Amino acid sequence: MSAPRSLLEARGLEAAYGQNPALRGLDADIPAGEIVAILGENGSGKSTLLKVVARIVAPSAGEILLDGVPLGTLSRRETARRVAYVPQSAELVFSIRSLDLVLQGRAPHARGFSADSEDDRRRAFEAMRACDVEALADRDASALSGGERRRVFLARALAQEAGIWLLDEPTSGLDPRHRFQFLEALIREHRSRATTVLLVTHEIELAAELADRVILLKDGRALASGPPSEALTRESIREAFAVDARVQKDARGRPRVTMEGPAV
Amino acid sequence: MKGGRPALWVGAGLLLAACVLCGLAVGGVRLSIADLVSGTGPAGQEARLIASLRFPRVLLAALVGGSLALAGASLQALLKNPLADPFLLGTSGGAAAGAALATLAGISPLLSPGAAFAGAAVSSAAVASLARRGGRLDLQRLLLAGLIANAFFSAVLLGVFSLASTEAARTMLFWMMGSLADASPAKLAALLPYAIAGAAVLLLSASRLNLFAVGEENAAALGVHTERSKALVFLASSLLTGAAVAFAGVIGFVGLLVPHAARAVAGNDQRVLLPLSAIVGAALLVAADAASRAAAAPSELPIGAVTAAIGAPLFAWLLLRNP
Repeated sequence: MSAPRSLLEARGLEAAYGQNPALRGLDADIPAGEIVAILGENGSGKSTLLKVVARIVAPSAGEILLDGVPLGTLSRRETARRVAYVPQSAELVFSIRSLDLVLQGRAPHARGFSADSEDDRRRAFEAMRACDVEALADRDASALSGGERRRVFLARALAQEAGIWLLDEPTSGLDPRHRFQFLEALIREHRSRATTVLLVTHEIELAAELADRVILLKDGRALASGPPSEALTRESIREAFAVDARVQKDARGRPRVTMEGPAV
Repeated sequence: MKGGRPALWVGAGLLLAACVLCGLAVGGVRLSIADLVSGTGPAGQEARLIASLRFPRVLLAALVGGSLALAGASLQALLKNPLADPFLLGTSGGAAAGAALATLAGISPLLSPGAAFAGAAVSSAAVASLARRGGRLDLQRLLLAGLIANAFFSAVLLGVFSLASTEAARTMLFWMMGSLADASPAKLAALLPYAIAGAAVLLLSASRLNLFAVGEENAAALGVHTERSKALVFLASSLLTGAAVAFAGVIGFVGLLVPHAARAVAGNDQRVLLPLSAIVGAALLVAADAASRAAAAPSELPIGAVTAAIGAPLFAWLLLRNP
């Protein structure tokens, strides 16, 4: 079996907010078509990694290769056609119709970022249907519940027609029903579109269950990387999170992680 | 969505036309609108003659109001902050200081938009860098930085007053309180290039500003070169503010309130909101100028005082609504 082709590679990636370093020489390989969970403590650089890939934050050293091409050599607009970012929480100050928010996903494809052709609308509606938010099209997105809004943002990533989705803590703060609805839509669309998903989460259990690959971050570097069964061990979890966890394998060989408490 | 709302544009056009007619009719000699519109007979001809003398002033009011409202609407979207405004962010203060320094240095008044633009740009850059935190603009810091800039530039202005002759200081004081009294075709001609350039940049940025209105990170993730866009929008709103302040003084709250009113009517698509704000801002300032002349005829109130008297309570109300 040949090694999976890397769609995204991080090489010695460094990034900082002012004086505070967030990434300190991160190396990582993301194969095409996988769901990759990025785990780590607060401040370990998870969200920053997504922001560097989305070109929201510029790296201070190192580089990201997209299909072997340095990300910095692509135009920002070209990057946005290939990489869609779903924010953790978008605080909407101004009202905006959900449909208009989803249409923003078409902006990187449109001249002058002005996307509202018939074709754009058709694609936006299709994306909203796929995420079960079509009925919310005319509602003000700033007045939606957290779960509905996440799915509207997911629909926007679909409308963006990018092959890579970056999701920053997509399930945090969602009640069980909305969490289930969100993950169902995510997995279904990931499979039907064969997208590559980078998912930042605090839920180790979710990563163990869902991800094809896990990257554990600590202090801006990759501590462990690989399939959940290899990357999630009692030792790696202890090192990354300073907690003790019991790691068992279920029938499919997936790890089942149960937290025991702070490491002593 | 775009352009598909004829009623909105017809309404805005009628509002502006009505305000312009009022602006032409009100003054030392009150004209009848009927005479003014017909323009026939001795009364009509006299009305047209007086109106033609008032026309530069009305046009200046429209240009200044439109410029300030357009700058305010753009800054609100750019900064995702409904309280952004060239006056509150210190841009107007910087422009006033620039223009006052140029006057003190004896530079021709027709060049004062350039000096005001320079002051506005310096103020914008200083405020933006003061408000920067961890590589991004922090909104609370932005308003505080505007406060600091306003304090600093009023110190500069007071310094200029004290150095100027009594007569010059008096003229400057009236200008600074906001005055359209000295409008002339030459001033209009000097102002127009700034206003057109600034307005063109902002109107062409409308779609990008839609992405900024959801957040700067949002715009970046959708392919916008955010640093470049921010610099361009700040520069363009400095051009508009500088031009407005150079010839009409510091007129507050137009840039804050007009976009709010326009947004309430037309929603927050910047491709509609920006031009609509410009038209409504023009209408508002023409009407405010007419009111300032009518209220204290044959003298007049400073226009800045009129807009502040209307604007400050409305601003307080907005503040209470947007915690």
